[in-house]
Amino acid sequence: MATITAPALRVTVPGFLKHRAVHKLLALALAAAVLVPIAHAHWPGTTWPDALTIDLSDPLTRVSDWIIDNRDSHPLFLYFFGHISNAVVLSVRAVYLVLLGLGWAGVTALGALVAWRVAGPRLAVGTAVAFLTCGLLGMWVPTMQTLALMVVAVLASVAVGALLGLAAGLSDRMDRALRPVLDTMQVLPAFAYLLPVVLVFGIGVPAAVLATVVYAAPPMARLTSLGLRGADKEVLEAVESLGATARQRLLTARIPLARKELLLGLNQTIMMALSMAVIASVIGGGGLGDRVYQALASVDVGAALTAGIPIVLLAVVLDRVTAAAGRGTGESRRTRGTYALLAATAAVAVLGRLTGRLDWPETWTLGIAEPVNRAVDWMTEHLYSGVPVVGGTADWAAHFTTWVLDPLRDGLQWLPWWSVLLLVAALAWLIGTWRTALTAVLAMAAIGVLGVWQPSLDTLSQVLAAVAVTLVLGFATGVAAARNERFERLLRPVLDVFQTMPQFVYLIPVVALFGVGRAPAVAAAVVYALPAVVRITTQGLRQVDAAALESARSLGATGGQQLRQVQLPLARPALLLAVNQGVVLVLAVVIIGGLVGGGALGYDVVFGLAQGDLATGLVAGAAIVCLGLMLDRVTQPADRRAKKGA
Amino acid sequence: MTTITDTPVFSVEGLWKVFGPKAERVPADPELASLPAAELRSRTGCTAAVRDVSFDVRKGEVFVVMGLSGSGKSTLVRCLTRLIEPTAGTIAVDGEDVRAMDRTRLRELRRHRAAMVFQHFGLLPHRTVLDNVAYGLEIQGVGKSERRTRAREVVTKVGLEGMEQRRPGQLSGGQRQRVGLARALAVDPEVLLFDEPFSALDPLIRRDMQEEVIRLHREEGRTMVFITHDLNEALKLGDRIALMRDGRVVQLGTPEEIVGSPADDYVREFVRDVPREQVMTVRTAMRTASMEEAGNGPAVSPNATVSQAIEAVARSGAPARVVDRGRCVGVVDSDALLGVVAGTTPVDADNDTDATAGDQAAAAVGGDSAAGSQAAVAAGSRAAGAAPVPGKAAPRTRGQAPQSPGTDSGAL
Repeated sequence: MATITAPALRVTVPGFLKHRAVHKLLALALAAAVLVPIAHAHWPGTTWPDALTIDLSDPLTRVSDWIIDNRDSHPLFLYFFGHISNAVVLSVRAVYLVLLGLGWAGVTALGALVAWRVAGPRLAVGTAVAFLTCGLLGMWVPTMQTLALMVVAVLASVAVGALLGLAAGLSDRMDRALRPVLDTMQVLPAFAYLLPVVLVFGIGVPAAVLATVVYAAPPMARLTSLGLRGADKEVLEAVESLGATARQRLLTARIPLARKELLLGLNQTIMMALSMAVIASVIGGGGLGDRVYQALASVDVGAALTAGIPIVLLAVVLDRVTAAAGRGTGESRRTRGTYALLAATAAVAVLGRLTGRLDWPETWTLGIAEPVNRAVDWMTEHLYSGVPVVGGTADWAAHFTTWVLDPLRDGLQWLPWWSVLLLVAALAWLIGTWRTALTAVLAMAAIGVLGVWQPSLDTLSQVLAAVAVTLVLGFATGVAAARNERFERLLRPVLDVFQTMPQFVYLIPVVALFGVGRAPAVAAAVVYALPAVVRITTQGLRQVDAAALESARSLGATGGQQLRQVQLPLARPALLLAVNQGVVLVLAVVIIGGLVGGGALGYDVVFGLAQGDLATGLVAGAAIVCLGLMLDRVTQPADRRAKKGA
Repeated sequence: MTTITDTPVFSVEGLWKVFGPKAERVPADPELASLPAAELRSRTGCTAAVRDVSFDVRKGEVFVVMGLSGSGKSTLVRCLTRLIEPTAGTIAVDGEDVRAMDRTRLRELRRHRAAMVFQHFGLLPHRTVLDNVAYGLEIQGVGKSERRTRAREVVTKVGLEGMEQRRPGQLSGGQRQRVGLARALAVDPEVLLFDEPFSALDPLIRRDMQEEVIRLHREEGRTMVFITHDLNEALKLGDRIALMRDGRVVQLGTPEEIVGSPADDYVREFVRDVPREQVMTVRTAMRTASMEEAGNGPAVSPNATVSQAIEAVARSGAPARVVDRGRCVGVVDSDALLGVVAGTTPVDADNDTDATAGDQAAAAVGGDSAAGSQAAVAAGSRAAGAAPVPGKAAPRTRGQAPQSPGTDSGAL
């Protein structure tokens, strides 16, 4: 009998139950059925139970007070942090003075000549134009301040990153220890780094530089390690077969072979440093970022734009020049060129000094703040609301807030806290592994423990809304670009520019268009995350195995069938990566949106900094870290670790 | 007799390389050591890439290790200079124990005595051809001008003059491998190790490069260990061939022995399609000459291939004399030659010449190959290595274009 019933049983099991996702969900449902009633009985209510909250503000305030009291007397500060702080201040000051000493003509000439050497005449002209525009906008001094801060921060980041990368590239144990740390650092919003640095160093240039270094060093470390590890095995074997010592192998083979990755690391470090150097104006970085920050605080779009344009120009120039250096072949005609370059720069600088034209001439500036503000006023009057048929931008923002953001936030806050945890666990487990699910749930629970459940859900609602919009727009654009060569060619330069711009800059146009509030923050986040999502989608669809596509075509599949049945399934890893990147990028900007009325966690950080209430800020910062961790893990595909390249 | 009695350049004895956890226990335990690969993996999680391999590489010979992918040949050659650390066994280079060498000594071995040429060239993409070639010398600490001078000489020797300032990315595959070869030659090593150097190249380029290796060997007489998966390449280049399967050497012998008397069915299957007349020499096919035959008919050398003899016999219509140093040692007629081509040679075992052990082994094959396989299997890894090297000229002849008809000597 048994032999007969066994197959019969197997037939009765519905097909969907064999699916692994269903197994995961069933296991989770089982766990929930046991745990939820217990949790509900102990701590009823929808919001995170008070009994499970640890109030950190008292101890944090005490720590912060202690640090402030002892900053000038305790040996830890006198002999360690004090020296670091002084060194940073001195080097930034030194670089700043050198830049001023070169004069505007000298700096422009130096920039253009360097660009010429590494990237050719076109970029040299571009660099010169960019610098002159900075002067023309009357932003020469702030630009130099930002540049000085950047130079010091980038040098330190590269040194720290390269050393860490070297260690991770040469030692497996070091690599295993560092990799998760670097991975996590890369998904955290820039704002999360500000408060711990301020806690130790106080508001000012040292804190700004150090926050920048902490933010910008990870890509250098990751790419250095990647380059050292990715070297052609046979080349290394050949080098060893010739009897090279470990040092010879490193210096003559591994490092030169990793050149491309090293320069890419430099490029990424510079871009991240610029992004952070601008944001660090919130903690006393000064320079261009400070101008934008001040202007945004008084909703002076014209002034913000005046300082924002140099930031964008700086970003584009730095990105293009360093990227071109990475593509170059490394010809050995450098040395002669270097001397010529130095000589030319010195000549221009001396000339500038002799003619007494070191500072940018007052009369050469072009005030764009006024016209811009007039334009914004006109927009406020004519475009904000009451435009026939389409409505106005402010109306859109208001509608978005009432119809999307509010219901979403209220819905999240209405959900019982344990169901939020369950949702997080289910999503993370379905997309990734039980490990990522566990991390995600723990991170989410930590938010509750920190006592910032409500504002975190507010931030989360903004993130979800922004991610949804980003993915819809991004996938649509990405699919269109993948299918249409011409559209992609048109899109590429736009994406290039958008991807190089620091996060901060995105706030300026959205404030001009939508005013302040949560909707502009979401809009800025969408604009910021869109290019990456579009790019990853397009690349993923393009890289689908041509043979598979061809065979589908040869079977007579229509364009839509090819897309649905071949391209999208095969590009699944890329699409998941796009989601992951989109979430991480959106979170970063939604947090910064606290500066333009986004409220929630970002506002807590800003408020903590502005009021000197570091405890509130630190708790919010920790919640941001947890939220970032949670969102990254929820969207982290199971196989990402294996193939995670650049 | 042409037996070379010098100490071998490389002497390998009972060599094992096992990958996996606690690899040492596998060679040490006779029971584990005799397990087939799949069972060994399921029981211990280990993979034996090289199993109990022994051979000698003699001075001046081209020793070919041939086998399909996964047979352990590349691992074997890397064990010679400990690029891969062997698990058990001994390796001696000029009588010195390689496994006992400390780091400095080992580096010395790699720098001066054995240089390797790699399948995918292993060139440094950021250096010019000249600096790539000079790299080995740079590692040794030779001064810039001297190493460049020496590199330039070697670059000329491998036919790359005029390309010194290019980078590897600007060269074709064949040219890149010439750079790889030049880099190995530049350090003037005692032995050249080739790890499937030409398998990444197009067939025509591969033939050019094989000629190049033959030419270099003829000019310099350097000892070479050559790894390949290509039987024709092995037969063309090798003075002796070790045929590997699943980490073991299944047969070791001259090309003629491998083709003429395969040790087992695997080898026989392997060599089935080899044009035998181009590998076998007339030695195998000749019989004792009668008085009248010794006086006339075309003359061929004992080392001439059967195909050359066929040409001579076909032209004259009479049996050809096999002449060694002016003395007629036997004759070959069309029947005997056809027998070789067909693989059914009833070889005369009693020819009175200095028949080598190899010839006898070949002779033993005869119609039924059982005896021959037994002999060669017994020879297994080591005994067959005792077979003397045939005259140096003979293997080289195989590399040459076909001889002109009616030639008096098979050797150039």
